[in-house]
Amino acid sequence: MTSLARFSRDFSSRHGTGAASFVVAAVLFWIVFLILLPQLAMLDVSFRHNLPRPEVGGPRDVHTLDNYRYFLFGNSGGAALNALDIGVLTKTLVAAVLVTVLDILLCYPIAFILAHSASGAGARLMVIGLIVPFWINDILRAFAFRILFGATGVINGVGLSLGLWDQPIDFIRADVALYAGLAYTYVLLMVFSIYNAVETLDRNQIEAARDMGASWWRVHWRIVLPVAKPGIASGATMVFMLTAGALAAPQILGGPSNLWFTQLIYQWFNDAGDWARGSAYATILLVVCLAFVFLMMRIFRVSIGAIGR
Amino acid sequence: MTKDVVLDHVSIRFGGYTAVENAHLTIRGGEFFSFLGPSGCGKTTLLRCISGFVQPSAGRVLIGGEDMRNVGPNKRPTALIFQNLALFPLLTVAENIAFPLEVRRVGRKQRRKRADELLEMIALPGTGDKKVHELSGGQKQRVAIARALAAEPDILLLDEPLSALDLKLRQHMRTELRAIQQRVGLTFIYITHDQGEALTMSDQVAVMNAGVIEQIDNPETIYNRPRTPFVASFVGESNAIHGVVLSQTGRLATLDTPLGPLTGQAAGGRTYLPKERCTLFVRPEQLFIADTPPEVNTIKAKRVNEEFEGSIRTLYLQAGGEALRLYHMNAAVSAALASGDGAVTVSFKPEQATILPDDPALSG
Amino acid sequence: MNRGVGGGLFAFSYTLLFFLFLFGPLIIMVITAFNSSAFPRVVPWECFTTDWFGLLIRNERLMTGLWTSLAIGIAVVAIAVPFGLAGALALADIGPRLRAGLYAVLITPILIPGVVLGISTIVFWSFVGRKLGAGYDTVFYNGLFLTLLGQVAFIASYAMLILSARLQRFDPTLTEAALDLGATPGQAFRKILLPFLKPALGSAAFITFLASFENYNTTVFTILSGNTFTTALASKVRHGTDPSLSALAVIIIAVTLIGAMVQEAHHRRRDLLRGGRPERSRLYANPLTRLLTHPAAILLILVGCTGAIIWQASHHDAQACRADILSEKQRVQERLLQEQQQRMQQRQTQTPAAPTAPSNNPSPFGGAFNPGSLAPK
Repeated sequence: MTSLARFSRDFSSRHGTGAASFVVAAVLFWIVFLILLPQLAMLDVSFRHNLPRPEVGGPRDVHTLDNYRYFLFGNSGGAALNALDIGVLTKTLVAAVLVTVLDILLCYPIAFILAHSASGAGARLMVIGLIVPFWINDILRAFAFRILFGATGVINGVGLSLGLWDQPIDFIRADVALYAGLAYTYVLLMVFSIYNAVETLDRNQIEAARDMGASWWRVHWRIVLPVAKPGIASGATMVFMLTAGALAAPQILGGPSNLWFTQLIYQWFNDAGDWARGSAYATILLVVCLAFVFLMMRIFRVSIGAIGR
Repeated sequence: MTKDVVLDHVSIRFGGYTAVENAHLTIRGGEFFSFLGPSGCGKTTLLRCISGFVQPSAGRVLIGGEDMRNVGPNKRPTALIFQNLALFPLLTVAENIAFPLEVRRVGRKQRRKRADELLEMIALPGTGDKKVHELSGGQKQRVAIARALAAEPDILLLDEPLSALDLKLRQHMRTELRAIQQRVGLTFIYITHDQGEALTMSDQVAVMNAGVIEQIDNPETIYNRPRTPFVASFVGESNAIHGVVLSQTGRLATLDTPLGPLTGQAAGGRTYLPKERCTLFVRPEQLFIADTPPEVNTIKAKRVNEEFEGSIRTLYLQAGGEALRLYHMNAAVSAALASGDGAVTVSFKPEQATILPDDPALSG
Repeated sequence: MNRGVGGGLFAFSYTLLFFLFLFGPLIIMVITAFNSSAFPRVVPWECFTTDWFGLLIRNERLMTGLWTSLAIGIAVVAIAVPFGLAGALALADIGPRLRAGLYAVLITPILIPGVVLGISTIVFWSFVGRKLGAGYDTVFYNGLFLTLLGQVAFIASYAMLILSARLQRFDPTLTEAALDLGATPGQAFRKILLPFLKPALGSAAFITFLASFENYNTTVFTILSGNTFTTALASKVRHGTDPSLSALAVIIIAVTLIGAMVQEAHHRRRDLLRGGRPERSRLYANPLTRLLTHPAAILLILVGCTGAIIWQASHHDAQACRADILSEKQRVQERLLQEQQQRMQQRQTQTPAAPTAPSNNPSPFGGAFNPGSLAPK
């Protein structure tokens, strides 16, 4: 609190009392009412029973671990694990990692080319080419992949007419469409994250290494990759979190039997109207994802300050 | 109209680090006053303290007899010319110059009129509608001065304003700055690490080192009569010869040095005791080649190297294990220079050398 | 140009493939918008039509959603940009030790899954509403209000990132200079810092609007029983699709491309002017080309072209072609029916052998043109 007071004093002597009080008020409101308290409220509800409204605040409105117990054991009462829900969560995380890795592999070369090979008009064209697909609604992007991968879609049409396969392949059920669509959606985020990092690399370093006879993969491994690392970390964190938290793409591109964890949350919350259990599942998603991200940051020695840069 | 600036035992500390230690001086109204020192010596901090961006940790800043504590930079009768000039890139030249008037809600027409007058004064008429980035370095310099003058300050503070310019322009701007100062009659407080700037323009120079003001004097005294070893070695070139005191008669003291006994002037009228460790400072241009044996200060030296620099020639000499430098005017003919074996006899006048104690704490 | 690292040919072909991946789906979607087939597809091509655009505009749910989205978007911009500015300013001036913590806090909303943000927002505000004893008709149960808060929570972080990047390039001595020249802190803020941030404020406003407009994960919860454009779109896609969505994509892509081109023209012009020697460029020597390369002129030309195409297309009538297709289909169907009847008769007259493959053949023409395939194996 003393540092807050000092900050507002210094700030108002620089930018004026009006600006200072605006900054302090806006940031506090943002953090407290839009970030902190809602998360706490959700956490609180996740530990409660799903009660009809008149009973809320009544004697039966007590804290409970029921919702989390349900996630772990289902209705079995502790006898057997809730294989279905835990499986969905695991599958979501694995798929999100897969999509993230796919995006890194896909975007690293492009980011490097954009930063160090393309020049002038070419680079500008590439930037526009990257941004234009990003401006198209998420839903429509998913829709495009459904057209592409559907049973009567373009890929099946081409494959069948070329005789590559003789039965329409169900890409939707195989989740190919979903993974491709998710990877596609976050390409831009990954490219620009890596680009921002790689761009700072002095091109002379690359040429010096080439002069000394290093092969191109060694140049990338020893010189470019260390510079790109914070960018990759930043991009990977965002892509992972967005993929794990994606709802629209799984709803549109997911197979009928394949659920994404967010869809479970959606079902509990909107279809079943069980706010408490929905909150518990949302909390589980948040905690598991953040824990996973922080674990990865530890392993790869990246700080959170690198995110979003 | 003119206001004195008084630093009353000012110390400035950041955490555990002392940037300025006990600065105590008076700058008279209308003076061109320079702070000279190497980078990191605290001179910029002192300037920011006068302009109000930094509060002194101890002591007071008085301008025109008024204590400046709790007076913000925008309320002080000072205007600061920043090292990077800090011209507003989004405003035109005229808008930059008229900014101090704009914030005082002077009308648009009047603002423009004053800006044009000032542009006239700095010899840049008709550039008012240009953007700042269209100007050359020297022009930006002058616009920054005009903008500061538009604020009608009593004191103009300049933080190494010439450091970004090339050599020619820098020398030209020195004369220009001095001329502007004399024309407007304001107090100029000037910060620089360039002794040439400080010496050519200033009425008074304060030499700073590691947060401490070592000497305040007019330029000639600073150069000819340095009072501390730092001033002697930082301002101008010097040959430093270490030794111990043999004797002192009046203001002249004689040292026993590896080069033999040498006589110079005791700095600041000091009296040295025999055996006291001292250093004799003599400038390269005050060393001369003695074609006939001198009466005092005979140094037998060996020529090691020489550099031809047009009007002068720098001789690198070796004598008694010490390296010496000597500036020889090429117009002056010397037979000794022509001799093949490189042995020369050099000397200097005792009044032109300064003897300073190695440990200033020991003598007053 | 790129001596050896990755090689020119490799780089070129990789870039080509990459952009094929980016634009392929979009191009195919665009094509399906003009195919009269009721299911969005390229093959088989039936008729060129622009009817799907009309169907799109007549979709009332989408259109009301559009207005809702616009209103929410504008409100989000009005709140998220100032919040982002406040965050960026706080980050720029706070001490180095607190900065890392504040940055982590202000960046988390981007990392929190949108679903979680949506849920936490309604849970919290309904809790507040309950504590205040407010009824269901108050703001605490109002989808627009909740969507606004839920979106601002993370969209303000986007604005903060954009503004922070610009703020890092601000020279703080400019503020000091203004103060020194007699400006009050407020004046220095308004006259020096804000104008410097103006371009970034513009792009922040743009990005925040786009983010709000596109958002689904948070909004699908916070909008409660209402609909925004995106949620309406999503439910339409989930419950059966038709090419009117492709038509929507065409419109968005066209607007985007026009925007990108105008932006590019603006950039070039600015670079040219900033270069200080516009008169040297050939484009600027000629008054006509100079006028034509002005961003506004380019915008006018592009909008004009688009308008002309729309007018042309709206007069296109696919009725005749569609009738052809229909009768063609009927013909094919009749023939199939006849063939089937023939086959039945053949089978009855021949040996009652095991029923063979033809009825399972996915090809509409079966093996009809190849009677040999019916031969016993």
